[in-house]
Amino acid sequence: MIEVLGVHKSFGSLEVLRGVSLNVAAGEVVVVLGPSGSGKSTLLRTINHLEKVNRGYITIDGELIGYRRRGGKLHELKEREILKQRKDIGFVFQNFNLFPHLTALENIAEVAELSDARHFLERVGLVDKASAYPRQLSGGQQQRVAIARALATRPKVVLFDEPTSALDPELVGEVLDVLRDLARSGTTMVVVTHEIGFAREVADRIVFMDDGVIVEEGPPEQVLDHPVHERTRAFLSKVL
Amino acid sequence: MTSSGTLTPVSTKDDDLSALPVVPARHPWRWVGVAFVLVLAAQFVHGLVTNPAWDWPTFARYFTAQSILTAVGTTIFLTVFGTVLGFALGIVVAVLRMSKSPFLSAVGWTYIWAFRSIPLIVQLLFWFNISYLYQRLSLGIPFGPEFVSFETISLISPMGAAVLGLALHQAAYAAEIVRSGVISVDRGQLEAAAALGIPRFRQFRRIVLPQAMRSILPNAANEVISLFKGTSVVSVMAIGELFYQVQVIYGRNARVVALLMVATVWYIILTTLLSIGQHYVERYFARGDRR
Repeated sequence: MIEVLGVHKSFGSLEVLRGVSLNVAAGEVVVVLGPSGSGKSTLLRTINHLEKVNRGYITIDGELIGYRRRGGKLHELKEREILKQRKDIGFVFQNFNLFPHLTALENIAEVAELSDARHFLERVGLVDKASAYPRQLSGGQQQRVAIARALATRPKVVLFDEPTSALDPELVGEVLDVLRDLARSGTTMVVVTHEIGFAREVADRIVFMDDGVIVEEGPPEQVLDHPVHERTRAFLSKVL
Repeated sequence: MTSSGTLTPVSTKDDDLSALPVVPARHPWRWVGVAFVLVLAAQFVHGLVTNPAWDWPTFARYFTAQSILTAVGTTIFLTVFGTVLGFALGIVVAVLRMSKSPFLSAVGWTYIWAFRSIPLIVQLLFWFNISYLYQRLSLGIPFGPEFVSFETISLISPMGAAVLGLALHQAAYAAEIVRSGVISVDRGQLEAAAALGIPRFRQFRRIVLPQAMRSILPNAANEVISLFKGTSVVSVMAIGELFYQVQVIYGRNARVVALLMVATVWYIILTTLLSIGQHYVERYFARGDRR
């Protein structure tokens, strides 16, 4: 479903991704772990072309993201075409990024029919908050609306960039519940998170990143309980 | 209580503080200030009423005179057109200035630079006299044949020149106000809109502009009010707006103070209406901010 191949990304002289390759199968839930600054978020943002890669490429369902191959060259797509591709890739931000001047329902209706928008709001259990503005919602509720909004374009995959990191501890659970439901319903997901418990329970595969590369990957019990790599062990000993 | 030797214990077992009445703090100097301002205000009002030099009968005679009402209409017309055209062009210039293309950005910057550098009154006189510079204006292929041509003087009337001057001047300031509003919108908003695949123009119109309006509006209202009073500079072009009209009348009857008061009171009334309008428009755009 998602194919990331040999992706490099630099900000100025700082190389954040140094050759990352990753395959995600349809319906698979991949959790990306790693210390801050390891390139997890950047990797996620290259997948929906919020960041342009310097080398390597990304395909979703076989379709090249951000470029078109023609006559032995990669031609950059026009912004309009990239925006269209992004409808296939849901993205949930760490700090929600709901549109503050629109109600919960209007936020979703910005990208979906009104009846659809209501359906997605129902799916995250917030249909009674349809006419509330983001400021009137708790952080957990805002993130659930943001998830509903990301689902509203009916994407093929959904990317979560530390979806619970900006939340008070007692609000993390309600957001993870929504993620759990999505995982169970067969949604293809890539989740960057620090919630190890959640990763163990929900992930089909855990990818551990450090210093711009994937250090190791595998099923949760392998990576979390019997990590092969020293860096993984060091990280886990700090967070577990 | 050991460290604060001068304080006695505030509460004892058989002394319930919650039963005691609370005496608010007194502010005697505030009352002195109030009295001072009230005396000054009373003196001012007394002067307005009793000093015959204010010439209220003349004020009353002219305040709703047909010539003054027409002039008020002209002032409103200039303000409305200056504002609408100025902000429409201003949005375009702001978009140019924020463009990723260095060329377009430079065009926007140059426009703002040019029209902020030239005093409005100079610019107005320039447009007023444009027909000295170019007698004829024509449409055609650059450096090639002409299709149609006009006498400049018939195309750009004094009123047209005034609207043109005010709008072009206003656009430079409006552009910066719009730009300040747009850059005040959180980057995450644009990222969210981009991640959702919302088309570019729609992002600007539905996501960025409504949020930018929060900080655009107070500045824009300032500009509209200042333009409204600023229309008085077009009196140099002998256009019959409010200020020009009162000058004409007091030039004839020498009742300078009364007629200046006619203009002043009209300016105050209309500015007040604009301020009230501003309040409601701002409240509309603050709707996501309510608890």
